[in-house]
Amino acid sequence: MPQQTSKSSLKIVVAAVIILATIGWLTFTGVRDNKSYYVTISELNAMGNKAYVRHLRVAGNVAPGSIKRSGTTATFELLEQGKKLQVSYQGTEPPPDTFKDDAQALAVGTYGKDGVFHATQLQAKCASKYAPAAPGATPGMSAKPTTTATALPSTR
Amino acid sequence: MDQGTLTSQRTATIAAPAWLRATAILWFIATVIVLLIGFRQALFTAPPDGELGDVQRIFYYHLPFAVLGMVFPYVNLVASLAFLYLRNRNPLKALTADALALASAQVSVLYVTLMLLTGMLYARPVWGIWWTWDARLTTAFILWLLYVSYLLTRKLAAPDQIAPLSAVLAVFAAVDIPIVYMSIRWWRTQHPAPIFGGAEGSGLAPSIWPPTLWNVAGWLMWGIFILCFRFAVERRNQIADQEHALQAIEASLHDHQG
Repeated sequence: MPQQTSKSSLKIVVAAVIILATIGWLTFTGVRDNKSYYVTISELNAMGNKAYVRHLRVAGNVAPGSIKRSGTTATFELLEQGKKLQVSYQGTEPPPDTFKDDAQALAVGTYGKDGVFHATQLQAKCASKYAPAAPGATPGMSAKPTTTATALPSTR
Repeated sequence: MDQGTLTSQRTATIAAPAWLRATAILWFIATVIVLLIGFRQALFTAPPDGELGDVQRIFYYHLPFAVLGMVFPYVNLVASLAFLYLRNRNPLKALTADALALASAQVSVLYVTLMLLTGMLYARPVWGIWWTWDARLTTAFILWLLYVSYLLTRKLAAPDQIAPLSAVLAVFAAVDIPIVYMSIRWWRTQHPAPIFGGAEGSGLAPSIWPPTLWNVAGWLMWGIFILCFRFAVERRNQIADQEHALQAIEASLHDHQG
């Protein structure tokens, strides 16, 4: 009987090692290509022809004054470290309230050969900072927007 | 001594002593007071956020649920490891550890559920979407699935298999807790980067701290209260089960004598 228990506990240890190793490997490879959720504008430009065939999320800051809304569609420019991307949004609902000048945003859609990114969905991205509005400042206008690039985890 | 007095003596040990009842009631009252202070600060006295406005107040609930949703699973892990260690060494203590494991898993499911729900309510106005499959949200959803499956295993397994099976499952489920925590550090996500100990420019303004801390304290107290309550219920069930087993043995002994 004691022999049997040590045998079954060995089996459990082996199974545990295999499962933990698999989870570890998946995590490690996942961490290695951490860019899967969205790309920056410079990464989009560096993708070459692959940029046109894939469904992508592109991150950037909304260029101040570039938003032109009409109903559920809008055109605007995304900025990221001096790089610009023209975005044309045609979705089923108007962009969220947090989508405004200087805000971090993700455009979801496809990159056209015309150099315009055709988005079907807009997602605002929030800073990891909470503070009441500074006295005198208009709410919703951050004095100094953090760029998406600085908010990124370090690239491996 | 006949069988009746034996049974009544044993059942008397099930009832909670008076001092424990008094502590529980005082703890409950204190919890409600702390939660009310947190509620008042979060919804009324705290200034609205400069970027997000009043909707940011959801944060005062989402954050405590998320923090505690990643703390109580560790209680479950420790209790499950204790069960596995004590199983053949001290079966009665192992049973106590198993009761704590069940209670902490129930509280974990409660808080992870509340984390996901408040997160979705927050995401819709702030991000423009209810849900997205980024690393943080996906790993958090998996955390929820893991502890729901833990509770389901306890419901469905054969009675003598419940404790060891669920303890092993708990050890594997716990692997996801640090992954949820690290997800916003390892991957690009829709979810904001860490607020505490995060990059430069992140953090909370001084006026945001008090409502945050009151709510973390209040929900921690509430979680501990339910944890103890569920633990007591499970202990009572275990003792009742033992009682049934003992009575069955005694009855069979009487049969032999008579």
